[in-house]
Amino acid sequence: MNCQRISSAFLDHHAGELPAHEATAMREHLKTCLTCQREWADFQQTLNVLDALPAPAPGERLRQNVYAMIEDARLEIEAPSPFALARSRLDAFFASLLPSRPALQFAFTLAVLVAGVAVGAKLIAPSAPPAQVITRADPATQRELADLRAKVEAMDKVVASALEPRSTNSRLRTVLATLDPAHRDDDRAVTELLNTLAFDPSINVRLAALEALYPHAERDTVRAAVVASLPREESPLVQCAMIDFVVASRDEAAAPALNRLVANANVEQTVRQAAERGLAQL
Amino acid sequence: MLSPDAETTAVPADHPSDHELMIAVRAGDVARLGDLFERHQLPLFGFFVRLTADRTTAEDLVQIVFQRVLKYRRTYRDEGKFSAWLYHLARRVAADHYRRHSRTPIPADPTVLPEPADDAPHAGEQTARAEDLALMQTALAGLPLDQREVLILHRFQHLRYDEIARLLNVSASAAKVRAHRALTALRDRYFKLRRESPATS
Repeated sequence: MNCQRISSAFLDHHAGELPAHEATAMREHLKTCLTCQREWADFQQTLNVLDALPAPAPGERLRQNVYAMIEDARLEIEAPSPFALARSRLDAFFASLLPSRPALQFAFTLAVLVAGVAVGAKLIAPSAPPAQVITRADPATQRELADLRAKVEAMDKVVASALEPRSTNSRLRTVLATLDPAHRDDDRAVTELLNTLAFDPSINVRLAALEALYPHAERDTVRAAVVASLPREESPLVQCAMIDFVVASRDEAAAPALNRLVANANVEQTVRQAAERGLAQL
Repeated sequence: MLSPDAETTAVPADHPSDHELMIAVRAGDVARLGDLFERHQLPLFGFFVRLTADRTTAEDLVQIVFQRVLKYRRTYRDEGKFSAWLYHLARRVAADHYRRHSRTPIPADPTVLPEPADDAPHAGEQTARAEDLALMQTALAGLPLDQREVLILHRFQHLRYDEIARLLNVSASAAKVRAHRALTALRDRYFKLRRESPATS
């Protein structure tokens, strides 16, 4: 133990709370170190005088004040609140209305109950269940509803097919299946092809869809949809194929779209050249 | 003056503990606060009189503490540490007092100091002893408030370091270090006063 540690352990040593081995080390150190001996003696004297300071007692005034304060608090707690007072008066008022004898109280209560039930039965008539109004739609409305239902179902299928994660091969097979002459007049198949052309992530599938749309090129809606997809298309290959499509279908309405492509410097050079050739042919 | 836990355990079995009394006070039986006052007024007065070195102020502060016990009785929690709660309130009361009177008190109240020696045998020793105690009282009153407080809690209120630590919101080891530093400062002041005092030199 060095002198600094000895000094910091004085309080514990004085209280007898130092572990035995440390107390022994301290005693050994104090035997040889004069500085610590003096420090220890001063420390002990300080504690002895400090602990000997008298413990003064408070005067009687404190006790009187505190007990007066407690009495005030007790009276305040025990004093009835205004709400409790009002409630007790109300209770007394209603109690004075009732007969004093229990048998009469029972008879009075029963009479009030019977009178209440009788008045209630008379005043409150049973409410009739709400009438259900069923009207039959006329034939024109029914047809309209059937059309709407069919369109909604078709839309459901388109959305479902768009959302369904399928492989490229599977989507390609679906597109090629529409080349079957059986689907030639199938509006739903055409709609799916146009959706595929617009949204399918695969270039091959979009090209196949465009190829499959050739038999339907005479339709204005199909040509318009291809022209609308043209500026959104990211692949120059598909864009060139779309230009070939509108040129092949002799769609003069596509000229403005082709002009915009030619004027757009951001568009691939090959696409702009294809658009220029298309415009010349149109 | 006993430590808080010792106080509650020292109560005979047929007598309610501090905690039980305080629970009754909290429930509205405020008359039981009188019992708590009787048990704690002396140590609490000792705490304040050594802190402020003024009897009248100390009595006022004890009264304020019991006022606050009444006022905040519903906030007392069921942890069975009434003394800890009481000294927590006492420290707040002392802090409010020093905020209002922002100065370190000087021992001006002669009744706080030890009684002067009489003409009985060994009068000389008694005089020296009384002088020693008066110097110690002055040295204690001259310490900074935080050092004086930790010394009073440790030496006079007999709180353990972990109890002081909870009150001061520090660790037990930090409370111990503070007590040691305060005692070292007190020793230096006391011996300086002794050297300067004509009676003891």
